[in-house]
Amino acid sequence: MAEKGRGDVLQGTLDMLVLKSLQLGPMHGWGITELLETGSERVLQVGQGSLYPALYRLERQGYIASDWGTTENNRQARFYKLTASGRKRLAEERATWARMSRAVDLVLRMGEG
Amino acid sequence: MPTIRDVAMRALGLVRRGSMERRLDAEMRFHVDMLTEQHIRAGRSPSDARRAALAAFGGLERFKDDARDEYRSRLVDELGQDIRYAVRVIRRNPGFGVAAALTFALGIGASTAIFSVVHGVLLRPLPYKDPDRLVVLWERQPGRGNDRNVVSVPNFEAWRSRARSFDGMAALVPLPATIGVAPNPEHVMGAEVSPGYFETLGVSPALGRTFASNEEQNGGADVIVLSDGFWRSHFGGDDQVIGRTLALDGRPHTIVGVMPSSFDPPRFAWLNDQAFWRPFGPTDNNRGWGRFLLVVGRVKGDVPVNAALREVQGIAAQRATEDKGNEGWSANIVGLSAQITGDARLPLLVLLGAVCLLLLMAVTNVANLTLGLVRRREHELAVRRAIGATWSRLLRQIITLSAVVSAVGCLIGFVAAVGGVRVLVALLPPETPRSGSIRVDAPVLLFTASVSMIAALGVGGVAALRGGRNGVASLRESGGRAAARLRGGSLVTAEVALGLVLTVLAGLTVRTFEKLRSVDLGFESERVVFARVGVSGAGYRTPEARAAFFDQVLSRVRALPGVQAASAVSTRPFGGMGPATTLGDASTAETGDSVVADVRYIDADLFRTLRTPLVAGSTFDSRDALDAPPRVVVNRALAQRFWPSESPIGKRLRVPMFNGIVPEVIGVVGDVHLMDARTPVRGAIYLANARFPMDALDLVVRTSVDGASVAKSLQAIVTTLDPALPVYWVTTLDDMVGRALSRDRFTAALLGAFAVVSLLLAAVGIYGVFAGDVAQRRKEIGIRVALGAPSGGVIALVMRRAMTRAVLGVALGTGGALLAARAMRSLLFGVGAADPVSFVGVAALLLLVALAATLVPAVRAARVSPLVAIRTD
Repeated sequence: MAEKGRGDVLQGTLDMLVLKSLQLGPMHGWGITELLETGSERVLQVGQGSLYPALYRLERQGYIASDWGTTENNRQARFYKLTASGRKRLAEERATWARMSRAVDLVLRMGEG
Repeated sequence: MPTIRDVAMRALGLVRRGSMERRLDAEMRFHVDMLTEQHIRAGRSPSDARRAALAAFGGLERFKDDARDEYRSRLVDELGQDIRYAVRVIRRNPGFGVAAALTFALGIGASTAIFSVVHGVLLRPLPYKDPDRLVVLWERQPGRGNDRNVVSVPNFEAWRSRARSFDGMAALVPLPATIGVAPNPEHVMGAEVSPGYFETLGVSPALGRTFASNEEQNGGADVIVLSDGFWRSHFGGDDQVIGRTLALDGRPHTIVGVMPSSFDPPRFAWLNDQAFWRPFGPTDNNRGWGRFLLVVGRVKGDVPVNAALREVQGIAAQRATEDKGNEGWSANIVGLSAQITGDARLPLLVLLGAVCLLLLMAVTNVANLTLGLVRRREHELAVRRAIGATWSRLLRQIITLSAVVSAVGCLIGFVAAVGGVRVLVALLPPETPRSGSIRVDAPVLLFTASVSMIAALGVGGVAALRGGRNGVASLRESGGRAAARLRGGSLVTAEVALGLVLTVLAGLTVRTFEKLRSVDLGFESERVVFARVGVSGAGYRTPEARAAFFDQVLSRVRALPGVQAASAVSTRPFGGMGPATTLGDASTAETGDSVVADVRYIDADLFRTLRTPLVAGSTFDSRDALDAPPRVVVNRALAQRFWPSESPIGKRLRVPMFNGIVPEVIGVVGDVHLMDARTPVRGAIYLANARFPMDALDLVVRTSVDGASVAKSLQAIVTTLDPALPVYWVTTLDDMVGRALSRDRFTAALLGAFAVVSLLLAAVGIYGVFAGDVAQRRKEIGIRVALGAPSGGVIALVMRRAMTRAVLGVALGTGGALLAARAMRSLLFGVGAADPVSFVGVAALLLLVALAATLVPAVRAARVSPLVAIRTD
């Protein structure tokens, strides 16, 4: 039911986007969805049904860590932050993404001078 | 198909569900709240906004499921890592792995084996319908401490007809009988039972029928029900057997039924194997026989056993007014299960308690070993903690480590127990009830599993709490240097205390056994053979015929080569309960004689054959013929009781048997233990079998040759005289004495073995603690040596620590052992429950073990070079 021009996050890129969001600082799950939507000029939409499992998975894999904290509105929320290995992982994913998107771009430009 | 992973997830989920669900709920609620606020800011109404937010959130439960999976698999992954870690650690410390697993196996194996026996004998329900409603009814004499006495026929009839609390009540009388005819007579044990007996137990025949109620008339019809075993061995399992006849003591009986193989008749008192049953019925004759019936009953489902007891006691009170012979008598009810278990109960419970202590020691030792291992890895743990491993994770790893070791040990122990149970059953005292129902099955498995689980948790808990937290904490504080506090000190105390309890119990039972063996039984048991011969049939109706038959047998036996002496007695010593009577000194007025004496009918040569000393007077001779005035030989206890300061010879006793006789005392013999070594000797009178001929006697033969060949000759002699008579129950007197001691031997041997193992465990455990202690304090000791401490001082330093703990253990253990010994006091003989020899001796032994176990580490400490003091890490 996505509006026109808006799409779900590309398969396989959610982990990288979550890691990228957390690179900016510790954040709760809601904050991550907000950030991804505003940061993509509302093009990207993250379903809660995939965000939280992704967060738990990343935590289990040791790329992020979490703890209870207080929001600016003084509410209890679970805050996630990047670990050292998460930082490394993000760098790797970015490199891969850059290589892939360049490759896709090259193919799409073929024959267009 | 559920995988190990699924099972582990479910198990973890149970433990972790609480915290995980709370986290999921909180995160979800927060998210939905934020979404709702956003919608409100966009201008929607609050309720609309919330609905939209929830809708946008999607399937809540699916979300939770996905999240849950991710969360859980982390724990499962970590469990996998922890198990791999444990295996790695164990593989790198094979000595630890083997020692810990074997110690654990020892504890689990021993406790499983003992529990199998306890379960089979004590706990498994009896194989009858609603067995907890079945009871045994006894008469009792409150004034005499006699609370399980057999029942007279009139009292049984009164109970059965007047009591309303019972669904059924039946009388039983053991019936030894000669079955079949010449040339293959055979002696078998059976029972006479009231027709309602099988219905009372709730068992049905496999073939034919049991007895009808009118078959108890005239003392019981000549019909017979066979046991499955007898039917198979004598009729080849032929199902056409119903209606055929079988001679029982020469009288033809019609076979009306066969019981199934699953029917295991209750065995208690002198009711043992039963090959057949015939109906018992009250007659005018047996109503006058006094008390001889065993009675079982089924209490109605809605009546408490206590209410049934009160009712029967009320009837007994009526009977006491109806019949002078019932004065002073009441009634008693004992659960059938408790009755059957009887004397076997306490020794088995003591063994179970002891094996639990042994298991506790094994657990302590494994905990100790694990603790040692954790300490050797303290540095690693501290480093891992420093780089971010959580406490819970480190503790979990230690617990996993001990769980892996325990699981392996438990498996080995269980396999060993399966074999151990067979050995135990073979060693069990022969009279142990229900030994046939001992096996390793589901309840035993459940016991092992739960005990193992508790034990593993114990090991893990101790190792994790003491090793993990304290260890790493002290390491951080002291910067890797030795902590001065002794670790594992309480384990040393525990081992000494537990070892002391076990060894004291073993000491008491071993001393009991020795005392029992050294009791003067009143006869010389070596090379004496017994064999029982009973006469039955028309040829022996007269006393003359019976007496003549046994005279002939004995004169031929005496002529056998190698026979030094031969005689006969109505019930052999150690051969179970024989007849007894009340009696009095005939020269005193009759005021209700209360002295109870055993009665034996004997051939004149009995005392010479058994080598029982004749203290005064003489034994029987040719004057004791059938119509002669009765004479009696008494034992020393009886002579002391009636004539402490004068010669008993020529005195007369008043005996109510045979309608009242007043025999003259012609001799006094030494006291003979007739029942067993434990029961104190009471008065006994011996009457001449020539004067009162019995129809069954135990032949007693003292021989200089092999007992088996004598037995063969006895059978040949009896067959020559009458081919229809069997010779049975052939044993040596040594065997009779040995069997009577078998339960004490079994208990003493097992407790002794437990004690030896416990001392070994204590030694190993204490050694381990102090070896670790010395290794850890090398630097401190090095400094002391460098400062001039003499090696004796260093040894004393280590020893003092050990002794403080050991002495505390001895104190605690002595208290525990006193309590335990008091609980098993009725098993002891000749030693008190607080026997100073056992207690002081064992305490010294335990201190010695502790000293010896500490000596090696202490000497090693004394050899520490002062150089270690200046060496850095």
